[in-house]
Amino acid sequence: MTTKPRVLSALARVLTIALAQPLMGQKKNSHSLKIPFETYKLPNGLTVILSEDHTTPTVAVDVWYHVGSKNETAGRTGFAHLFEHVMFTGSGHVPYGLHDKLTEGVGGGNNGSTTNDRTNYFETIPSNYLESALWLEADRMGFLLDKLDIAKLNAQRDVVKNERRQSYDNQPYGRVSEILSAAMYPKGHPYSWPVIGSMDDLTAASEEDVKAFFRLYYATNNATLAVVGDFDPAQTKAWIQKYFTDLPKGQTVQRPSVPLGKLAASKRLVYEDRVQVPRLYIQWPSIGFKNEDGYALAVMSSILSGPRTARLTKALVYDSQKASQVFGFQNSSEDVGVFQVVVVPRPEATLTELEAAVDQVLQKFIAEGPTAEEVQKAKSGLELNFLRGLESNLGKAEQLITGSAFFGNPGQFSTDYQKTLAVTAADVKRVANQYLTRSRIVLSVVPKGKKDQAAKATESETVSMLDGKRRGGRS
Amino acid sequence: MNSQRKVCAFMAAIVISIANLAALAQQQPLDRTKVPTAGATPVLRVPTWTKTQLTNGATLIVSERHNLPLVSFTMTFVGGSNQFEPAGRRGVASLTASMLSEGTTTKTGDQLSDALQLLGTNVGAGIGGEEGTISFVSTTKNFDATLAILADMMLNSTFPAEALERLRARTLVNLTQAKDQPVVIGSQVFAKILYGDAHPYGQRTTEASVKAITRDEVVAFQKAYYQSGRAIITVVGDVTPAQVKATVEKGLAAWAKAGDKPSFDYPKLPELQPAKIYLVDKPGAAQSVFNIGLPGPPRNTPDYFALQVLNTILGGQFQSRLNANIREQKGYSYGVNSGFNYGKGPGAFRAGGSIFTAKTDAALIEFMQELKGIAGEKPITDEEIKTAKEALIQGLPQRFASVSAISNAITSLVVQGLPDDYYQTYAKNVSAITKEDLLRVAKRYIDLNHLYIVIVGDRSTVEGPLKATNIAPITYIDIEGNPAAPATPPSN
Repeated sequence: MTTKPRVLSALARVLTIALAQPLMGQKKNSHSLKIPFETYKLPNGLTVILSEDHTTPTVAVDVWYHVGSKNETAGRTGFAHLFEHVMFTGSGHVPYGLHDKLTEGVGGGNNGSTTNDRTNYFETIPSNYLESALWLEADRMGFLLDKLDIAKLNAQRDVVKNERRQSYDNQPYGRVSEILSAAMYPKGHPYSWPVIGSMDDLTAASEEDVKAFFRLYYATNNATLAVVGDFDPAQTKAWIQKYFTDLPKGQTVQRPSVPLGKLAASKRLVYEDRVQVPRLYIQWPSIGFKNEDGYALAVMSSILSGPRTARLTKALVYDSQKASQVFGFQNSSEDVGVFQVVVVPRPEATLTELEAAVDQVLQKFIAEGPTAEEVQKAKSGLELNFLRGLESNLGKAEQLITGSAFFGNPGQFSTDYQKTLAVTAADVKRVANQYLTRSRIVLSVVPKGKKDQAAKATESETVSMLDGKRRGGRS
Repeated sequence: MNSQRKVCAFMAAIVISIANLAALAQQQPLDRTKVPTAGATPVLRVPTWTKTQLTNGATLIVSERHNLPLVSFTMTFVGGSNQFEPAGRRGVASLTASMLSEGTTTKTGDQLSDALQLLGTNVGAGIGGEEGTISFVSTTKNFDATLAILADMMLNSTFPAEALERLRARTLVNLTQAKDQPVVIGSQVFAKILYGDAHPYGQRTTEASVKAITRDEVVAFQKAYYQSGRAIITVVGDVTPAQVKATVEKGLAAWAKAGDKPSFDYPKLPELQPAKIYLVDKPGAAQSVFNIGLPGPPRNTPDYFALQVLNTILGGQFQSRLNANIREQKGYSYGVNSGFNYGKGPGAFRAGGSIFTAKTDAALIEFMQELKGIAGEKPITDEEIKTAKEALIQGLPQRFASVSAISNAITSLVVQGLPDDYYQTYAKNVSAITKEDLLRVAKRYIDLNHLYIVIVGDRSTVEGPLKATNIAPITYIDIEGNPAAPATPPSN
């Protein structure tokens, strides 16, 4: 009903979390939870995945480009996300506005999202509009630059700057993720800058910079197309052949090996924000989602926070009641990841006390590990989430394409499910010991002029942020 | 299922010949400028449902969907905080709903939580302005066990005093945090300015009301509110009506017959005021949050379909006039929109969004131009009407895309008193709307002379430019919606 801001950063976050928690599916002996699919590659390198579901007369078309903010370079950040906007402004044979008309204008929808690792573009449409959706996606894959000029670029640059103002700068605690990334990774590390980029870089980007980025990363061989829903496979393959097959292959994309985050020593930071309630963030470097420890870390996330008997929630929110809310979760990207704890205090509690309270819970957990029942509860919840994720065409498309793009296997979710089911209490104890004992970042966000409210205020270094850039502090 | 497969096989035969044609066409270079024509509009498949009464008077609706082993259960209570909260006790409804999970005569809050976690699910309870719900989604095999816990929570809660204090404290922290959220401030102030303190639509939970609520009031609210006579139970998913009826009758056997649907008599609205800008200072804000509008019609207005088409053109979609202009063409915002907030009473028409501080005045000029435009100055085109109607009509299947979506789609008909064939006749009703209808409802409901323009932003930067637009006089209010202290002179 409302206008959808393109670039659901919320969606991007949900997807990251979905990946962070490899989800579970089939019950043993149940075949109803499988996603049936077919996959093939066109000669130009485009990977295609098809999955039929005739429950409602709708289809999802989902295209991933394996490019995200980590493929940018320092000083030219925000390009992957900027493209997410530009990609909706028309292409060689598609005038501006037609994309929306053939999706939203016929009762469907469209959007895209960008993470550090990949960008997705999707249409959800009544099934009789599938051919036009494929035509639209093919045209912007092959002919976007034909119609991209500086005026168009500037218009979307302004929209992105407004998105930045709305989602980060004008948002209480909105700068936190930037501060933490910059503190977690060394200067120039591909995960050290925010997905949305900096205001200065967005301003500085030239037309040629932006076009070069597109030529390299938005070609058939760096893309995956999924069609899920109410369609006829033979007809759909014919359309895919018709619209995509003669698009040129791009250069081979080099994927540099990205080092994991690692802190030589713990850091303590304090940031003054326009807020009334302080917050505490604790972050440990962990692993990316290709590392198999992710399964145990996902289970650990569910055991530590969420329901009222989760460890941190029970201790801080229910028993001592020093916190109003607490979250603890593994956040995985393709190459790196962090385990993060966030605490919202009650007015009478200090961040110093809360940090100690978190540590007390974690030390006990690291020493003893979870109970068998805690592991079982976590798995039951993950199972229902997985099932619910399979309700929508787009949900299924995202599952299939995630497996395909990152693991070369659209059916990866089944493996994730099996491996999550196999997690034991001992596995969880091991990853708790391995990751939660590392050097870490402790960030206190406090009201303006109240630096004394930080956890261990005298030991904390001040971070200041200005105009989308971090000034002062360390790199 | 069988007949569907036959159709598919038949279709496949046709498709193969189409594919051959496509292959032939491939010999010639593809003309990419040719927009593919849409296939035949798919037949609308509205889920069917059964509607019966339980012995305790509650309505039971069941709709089958067997594609996944999932069940959605929602108990909806007609009437909400606006009908049931005592004066000065705003917030008691939400607190009561939250207290349901704090313990029963046989289980502690922790035990309830553990039991639900083992079932992989959670029972959610909430009460809004005009209705409340208790609901869960579970796997088919865990449905009965989850329903038993829900019944225990609803009927046997003990409302421990220490839990009330904890939830009260959490609510107070949330209220404090809301003061930092320009978007929240904007919508709260907008409601207060439009409806005033005497109308439930203008009231909200405050620190004072939360602090005043006693445990006895929570217990009394629970008794008065959760009554079967106003309950609609909607079950959607991998179940059958007969099986659900038996399970629900048994699971809720202890729930006595009581209560009725409330009436929705709202006090008279305050008299409309001449258009005015209400400026809330948020020093240093990077954006100005706009809420522009006035009280509108209830859901049962005969103008509903005309207003839906109208709003789709004005601000319901990405390419609607407001967003196409203010975001896409001007670049003043990340997104603006408009909508009618339909309920039993005079819900608001509202247009708005977050605007780059430096463009606050320019954006207001554009908002006003678009509102004037839709009311006649920029005539609605046939093309706009066609697109809006198609978007609405072809968007229907999306409302049946999941068990919870189907549950909402069916329940809302009962709550709003709409006919059972509402979705079957939807296309006809939308199609019947004419250009004249649109102009008439635009003039009637978007009353330009009485718009309330609420802007939350950095006063020192935006005040001068807003004045210079000469759109309306400016009144200064604080984040509670009360008159603000006298102006501090602008710094420049």
